[in-house]
Amino acid sequence: MSLAKFIENFEEAVEDIEPGSLTATTKYRELEAWDSLAFLTVIAMIDAEYDVRIKGDVLKNCETLEALYAQVSA
Amino acid sequence: MGGADKFNNQQILVVGATGALGGAIARQLKVEGADLIVSGREQGKLAALTAECGGSSLSVDLSDSAGCVQLADAVGELDGVVYAAGVAPVVPVRYLKDADIEACLNLNTTMPLLLIRELLKKKRLKTGASIVWMSSLASVRGTAGYAAYAASKAGLEASARCLALELAPKRMRVNCIAPGMIETDMAEATAERISDEALAAHLKAYPLGAGQPADVAAATSFLLSQESRWVTGITLPVDGGFSI
Repeated sequence: MSLAKFIENFEEAVEDIEPGSLTATTKYRELEAWDSLAFLTVIAMIDAEYDVRIKGDVLKNCETLEALYAQVSA
Repeated sequence: MGGADKFNNQQILVVGATGALGGAIARQLKVEGADLIVSGREQGKLAALTAECGGSSLSVDLSDSAGCVQLADAVGELDGVVYAAGVAPVVPVRYLKDADIEACLNLNTTMPLLLIRELLKKKRLKTGASIVWMSSLASVRGTAGYAAYAASKAGLEASARCLALELAPKRMRVNCIAPGMIETDMAEATAERISDEALAAHLKAYPLGAGQPADVAAATSFLLSQESRWVTGITLPVDGGFSI
């Protein structure tokens, strides 16, 4: 489990994200591709890949991918 | 006919009674004079419901048909059956786990059918009995993330139509209710996986706003009662106008 792999998984989960285009400091909620389906899909990806069930509030409150990863790996 | 005379000590089994919908249905039927047998997963809630509504209760595991056999063994002859147990995984297909799909189809579609099978085998359904299964608007409306749940409810409704034909010669009726957004624990859990914007947009599609468990309970009471004696094989939307 690493931040780099988490970012890769995030890129794979959200439609229309170019692989390798995101970084730890990317503010994912400001991405053009961030919509209700992306919201749902990232929660599902975290459950499937990390066996962690996060609530929507976590996605709403974190700013960067790094911060989100910290929540997932906490 | 209304009040306590409506069901006049009729024996009605409510499965999934510890959920918000099942609990509301049990309470309404009790007020209307039913003699209840309630079943659910959570023993504490089941005990509290039985203390409130009287009747008897049975906590069973509906992960396989043994639970249905156990229920059919435990009840006497029934005038009505309500199946309100269910799960709703909200997951896009590419992340759906085998276990989520299996559990959803099992509890939402297979178990209601197996329960009726066991009740029929043991002759636990009286002539004229009414069966009500809880479906969902998801059976006819596509929503991202609901593929397994929608399949389970569409399958349930299809089964209900076939069963309605099989049981009509005995004057038994089989109907489904398709609630829209009802303020329940399951809806709250679902909302935790949906963005605020998506939830707000969804709620806007209800001309009468979100529903309450009591709205579903009233519709269930109608379909169980003789007021609907010429109604079988249907799915009744209870959705505040969502499907208009």
